[in-house]
Amino acid sequence: MKAEAINDIRFTVLSPERIRKMSVAKLIVPDAYNEDGYPIDGGLIDQRLGVIEPGLRCKTCGGRAKSCPGHFGHIELVRPVVHPAYAKTIYMLLQSTCNSCHRALMSESAIKELRPVIETMTIDESDEVLKAVEGQAQKADKGAESAAHAGLQQNGNGVSMNQSMVISASMPAIKRLKSVKICPHCKAQQAKIKFEKPTRFMVGNETLRPDDVRDWLSKIPDDDLMLFGIDPKATRPEWFIITALLVPPVNVRPSITLESGERSEDDLTHKLVDIMRVNRKLEQDIDAGAPQIIIDDQWELLQYHVTSYFDNETAGIPVSRHRSGRPLKTLAQRLKGKEGRLRYNLSGKRVNFSARSVITPDPRLSVNSVGIPIDIAKGMSVPMYVTKWNIDELKEWMQRTEYPMIVNVISKEGVRKRITETNRAELLASVEPGVILERQLIDGDIALFNRQPTLHRVSIMAHIVKVVPDKTIRINPSIAHPYGADFDGDEMNIHIPQSLEAQAEARYLMQPKLLFMSAKDSSPISSLSEEQVMGVYLLTLDSTELSREETMELLSYVGITDMPEPLKNGKYSGKSIFSMLLPVDYSTEQKAGRDNIVVIKNGKLKSGVVNHSAVGGHGFMIMEIFDRYGPDYTEAFLTRSINLALKYTYMRGITISVRDFYITDEMRKEREKLIETVKSNAEVVMKNYKDGKLEAQPGYTVKETYKMLLLAELDSARDLAVSIVNKHFNYTNNLFLMSEVHVRGDIRTIVQTSLLLGQQNVRADRPTRGYSGRAIPYIAKNDDAPESKGFIKDSFFDGLEPTELYLHAMGARASMQSKSLITAVSGYLMRRLINAMQDFYVEKDMSVRGAGGALLQTIYGGDGIDPMMAGAAAAAKKRK
Amino acid sequence: MLPVPELIPEHKLLSESEAKKVAAKFNARLEDFPKILSSDPQAVKLGAEPGQLIEIKRNDDGNKYLYYRYVVKG
Repeated sequence: MKAEAINDIRFTVLSPERIRKMSVAKLIVPDAYNEDGYPIDGGLIDQRLGVIEPGLRCKTCGGRAKSCPGHFGHIELVRPVVHPAYAKTIYMLLQSTCNSCHRALMSESAIKELRPVIETMTIDESDEVLKAVEGQAQKADKGAESAAHAGLQQNGNGVSMNQSMVISASMPAIKRLKSVKICPHCKAQQAKIKFEKPTRFMVGNETLRPDDVRDWLSKIPDDDLMLFGIDPKATRPEWFIITALLVPPVNVRPSITLESGERSEDDLTHKLVDIMRVNRKLEQDIDAGAPQIIIDDQWELLQYHVTSYFDNETAGIPVSRHRSGRPLKTLAQRLKGKEGRLRYNLSGKRVNFSARSVITPDPRLSVNSVGIPIDIAKGMSVPMYVTKWNIDELKEWMQRTEYPMIVNVISKEGVRKRITETNRAELLASVEPGVILERQLIDGDIALFNRQPTLHRVSIMAHIVKVVPDKTIRINPSIAHPYGADFDGDEMNIHIPQSLEAQAEARYLMQPKLLFMSAKDSSPISSLSEEQVMGVYLLTLDSTELSREETMELLSYVGITDMPEPLKNGKYSGKSIFSMLLPVDYSTEQKAGRDNIVVIKNGKLKSGVVNHSAVGGHGFMIMEIFDRYGPDYTEAFLTRSINLALKYTYMRGITISVRDFYITDEMRKEREKLIETVKSNAEVVMKNYKDGKLEAQPGYTVKETYKMLLLAELDSARDLAVSIVNKHFNYTNNLFLMSEVHVRGDIRTIVQTSLLLGQQNVRADRPTRGYSGRAIPYIAKNDDAPESKGFIKDSFFDGLEPTELYLHAMGARASMQSKSLITAVSGYLMRRLINAMQDFYVEKDMSVRGAGGALLQTIYGGDGIDPMMAGAAAAAKKRK
Repeated sequence: MLPVPELIPEHKLLSESEAKKVAAKFNARLEDFPKILSSDPQAVKLGAEPGQLIEIKRNDDGNKYLYYRYVVKG
């Protein structure tokens, strides 16, 4: 078939004649099956509407279940009803046309002026044309444009309006018509039309019945329709009133046969049965000459069923329910929302060759690999291409009957066949170069690994597969960082690239070891943390000496079989053991924290302690090794140092106990003194303020200055307490040790647990709101004392006073709220930025280009530096 | 607010032949360059007309490089 470009698409309304022509069956029986369980002719699953059961043939096209696409039928409504989706448009037309001559309520001359504008109007120029029309109507209505947009949205739900209909109907000149009192054509007085949602129209107190509305609308001349953006050649407004109701084929509303043999019909069929029942009752009433009230009642019921057939969540009418009490899912419900046809079926994408499971940490895996559960590996396949060089090997593979085995054979013709015991021999014989075999996933395969939200590049990376027992996906805990993962139940996805191109691309572009430097600031995306940092720290202390046995245990654990030089006493220094991980020609000298210079000469750690600054977050050692020795060495170094550190941590042991939280009487005294000092300093500020002696700081009022100074004074308590901890605690306190070595917790958390909590803040201010003049009723009104406004002089270890607890909770709540709000807001901001910039790229000449070749930056970032490739030196410079 | 002259990088109006050279250097059409309104104070100062190219000598944190803007009506 020849491909042709689509010029335009027109959405129109079906006329009753058109519906009758489309229909293959006029449905008259309000039921589906007769007593024998056979579809009734003229019933709702009339076999002319198509067949869905295998074996039967369609009475219209003769096709079977697979080939018959289904055919529309129709129901003749005895009395017409309003199409609920067009009620608004009908209302607009009734208001804007004469109730007597049915012409638009606009003078002939005005129509003449407007016609050329509307006829040349397109949606692309909506802005400019709208402005022109506004000018022509000599009434600047600023709401016109937004009304046009609102019109589009209102009608975006299922039923689409002609675009020009929306525009012209929202033009001020047209909108004004509803307030015209006397028809400019026949001079008839215009009554006010009322619209009661969803489908009732009133003139004064008289209800306008749908057939009256239809008559009215049908008398609007074609020429006037143009004003409302309706093309009379495509759509007549009287078609907005339903006379013949189109019934979708059974394929759209299949019935289900339950195990018990009982039939269960689709919600749409149920609704159509309702419509037909009322329709029949109405017909009988009319034929029997029933009083008008009875007929109107039935008519209204018919309108209700038709309305809920289109949308069962229509405002103002009761929800139609199934016998079980479950609301019926009618047309609009099928399309709408997250589980609707659009978002769930059309936009929702599903992929093959993927798996998902809970992740758990396993430091014995390299940061570059991923542990795939055996059950997942068995269910995943990778194609192998048969060539004359590998055919013998692959034929041997074909014989395997347990993991890892070949599961499918794809013949040269592209037919995929699953290997079973019965056809194995036959398929084996068919294997020749050109055939593709699909085998189960094995160690060394490549897998894309992803955690949502996929916010940046390193949220999807290619890992080397290592098949592991049990059911969770295993990763090295150090590679959790770029994914933003932790192990409290997080799940992650894997995808197995199938084509050789995809596999190659993943291998050469997407492995963590290749993306090792963060594109943000040239820091490693993966490094040592927590007890790993503790391990290397303890190992490389000057005092660490290990026996020969211990040394062997440590080194063999990370796969090193050589021994370092022993000390004179026959033992081995921790530094020499760590040096075994370093490249033999690696030399460096770097300051790493206070009083610590790490000196490495030719792969030997000469002095200094390897700590957080060397191998942690921005650790220079990791960066330098990546710079000088490349991705593969870095991967090995990282994995080995992690395991060496962990092993040593476990050998030596480290813990914290309640004793680490104790403070001495001396510290207690110093704390009291500190609190006294802070309070008296605060009082000085308060007194100065009261005496009017406080001078305003530039840009602030006196009161603001007072608040700032007071808060600064009170806030300083915590910082002052840090010096108490520093003075009295030493490395025999494991808590203090951990904070000093940047393993876990910082010194301020020690202050808060052991000394005092200090000033609590709510939105960068002392807690004051709650009751008038006080935060909690326990406090005296307008008491400005530090304790009354969130200064907590107790520690978590001593326990808080009830008032302190409340004030602390206020601060905690406020900071938690703002944190969650900020993450949501900045996350959305980030998304919009990513969306706006996603197809920018750096051209070979280092310029940044956007869509269509637009030049955005003459040189990337103003300096042409790729932070990922810049190296450790540039990283250090950039961070400064 | 008053403009702070020393914070505005140097703008220079390019001749037609210079503009062509720059466009050729980046293998781009003039319209592909970032835009500047002809009503922009710097464009007004240079008397730039729509269709011309303005060269801006930028200095970001010591990184000196040239930037270009295509003058558009406005």
